[in-house]
Amino acid sequence: MPSAAILEVRGLTKRFGGLTAVSSLGFEVREGEILGMIGPNGAGKSTTFNLIAGTYAATQGEVRFAGEQILGLPPHRIAARGVMRTFQHNRPFGGMPVIDNVLVGAHTRFASGLWAVVGGRALREETQRRKRAAELIEFVGLGELPHADVATLSFGQGRLLEIARALAGEPRLLLFDEPAAGLTLAECERLAGIIRGIAARGIAVLLIEHDMHFLLPLAQRVAVLNFGVKIADGLPEQIRNHPAVLEAYLGSHAAA
Amino acid sequence: MSSLLRWLGAALLLAGAAFLLSDYHNDVYRKLLLWVTLALSYNFLFGICGQIAFSHFAFYGIGAYSVVIFLFQFHLPFPLAILLGIALCILFALAVAIPSARLEGFYLALATLALAQLFIVVLNEGGAVTGGPGGLANYKLPEFLGTRIRGPWYTAVIVLLLLGTLAVLWRLDRSWFGRACRAVRDNPEVAAAMGVDVARTKVTAFTLTSALAGIAGMVYAFVDNTVNPPIFGLDNAFLLLFMVIVGGAGRHAGAIIGAALLFLVPFVLSPLIGHHHVLVFGVLVVAAILLQPRGLVGLYDAIRRHP
Repeated sequence: MPSAAILEVRGLTKRFGGLTAVSSLGFEVREGEILGMIGPNGAGKSTTFNLIAGTYAATQGEVRFAGEQILGLPPHRIAARGVMRTFQHNRPFGGMPVIDNVLVGAHTRFASGLWAVVGGRALREETQRRKRAAELIEFVGLGELPHADVATLSFGQGRLLEIARALAGEPRLLLFDEPAAGLTLAECERLAGIIRGIAARGIAVLLIEHDMHFLLPLAQRVAVLNFGVKIADGLPEQIRNHPAVLEAYLGSHAAA
Repeated sequence: MSSLLRWLGAALLLAGAAFLLSDYHNDVYRKLLLWVTLALSYNFLFGICGQIAFSHFAFYGIGAYSVVIFLFQFHLPFPLAILLGIALCILFALAVAIPSARLEGFYLALATLALAQLFIVVLNEGGAVTGGPGGLANYKLPEFLGTRIRGPWYTAVIVLLLLGTLAVLWRLDRSWFGRACRAVRDNPEVAAAMGVDVARTKVTAFTLTSALAGIAGMVYAFVDNTVNPPIFGLDNAFLLLFMVIVGGAGRHAGAIIGAALLFLVPFVLSPLIGHHHVLVFGVLVVAAILLQPRGLVGLYDAIRRHP
């Protein structure tokens, strides 16, 4: 095993009234690893995601990040520990230029307090963080746009901004919510390169994806969800021909 | 360095103007400066942090009344009276903001409306301490280092108050805190995912801006040398809201322009059309909301972009 698991999920269960969206789910993600999570619509991928990020409260289970239980913590605390996320439908802060959006992602990394801000002692840190944010904007390929109004970005550029903003929080685990959704083929290829680059920095990546053609070449391991249950888990080439996966995606006739 | 010179230049210019004005015009000028100061801090709360609160004028009143009461009813030393006045504003602000922050924005509006109304009731019913409906009068600014600041020199104090408030808000706005405020305004759920403690950010912004309003109130207490309930009523709380909307919410320049414009409208128009100036005022506010939600500053931006 190349490195220790940074995220360990055990027995995770979420019920919405009578509906069990996620049922005794267990998996782990290691540092620098890209774990793909696939499944048809309504399989519980997004719910899993929201449980890890703290947006939903779990009914039962355990989510350990860097050895510590994070289930039950509010989302901002989970972010502060180093779990950042992107949103499937781009959700930039409209009232700010690109670089300020990225700086919001770095919110938890600012050391200076309010008094230092008012007293002017925080200006040096602000300058440093701004420089770092510009580097991240460059890294995702928006280098020429740090001061652009977010409303002028294309959909694909908006997705890149999501990634730069999440990276600014210096995550140890990055959660991608269907990052390829709505992108052109060329944009998808560029995105795959960026995600590989992120994992190469030692950041663990959990990728929820609908599109197998995007995910399978990118992920090192893949977990398959259907009706809130993990039905398969393995290397991409194993998943490609797994009977349970074919059935979930194509219906029982295809598997037969 | 050049930024320091710019601030210094602004201070000299704004304060210098006071020495050229008559007593009457100095009085108008002082009120203008105070309105701009209040609009700046209210803009941070409403325009930048997106919190709809009607208590800003009440905090202005709490500052004004508390400094007068601590000084002349309880005979406390001047610096202590000021510190206690600020502490009182912070206490009230926390008492309103902490329970409201966990709820949707609508509840803050209601809670602050209640506070503003309650404040007026307390002033009216406060007996000898608050002076009742007539308020408190016949007091003077205490001497400081053997001199009493008067006339245009006191106007200069208000200029310092304005620039000090602007400097504090300016720095806050261009920091992690200002960005967190804007993020909370635009999308609290995403802000939380980015690590922003939404409730804490709201409470901090509310408390800070309310304390700034309180400090402005303390300075105001020695402008007319009288404090009475009607000044701090809801009429002025709404006027403040309109100033920020007309000027352009979320921008310091918007708050300054809006406050100056709406404050000066009656002075210019009432000699011409009497009380109908209220009508002009109403049309201006409605037009701003319908035609240009980003206010006069937004209009200026639009013109500059497409000349």
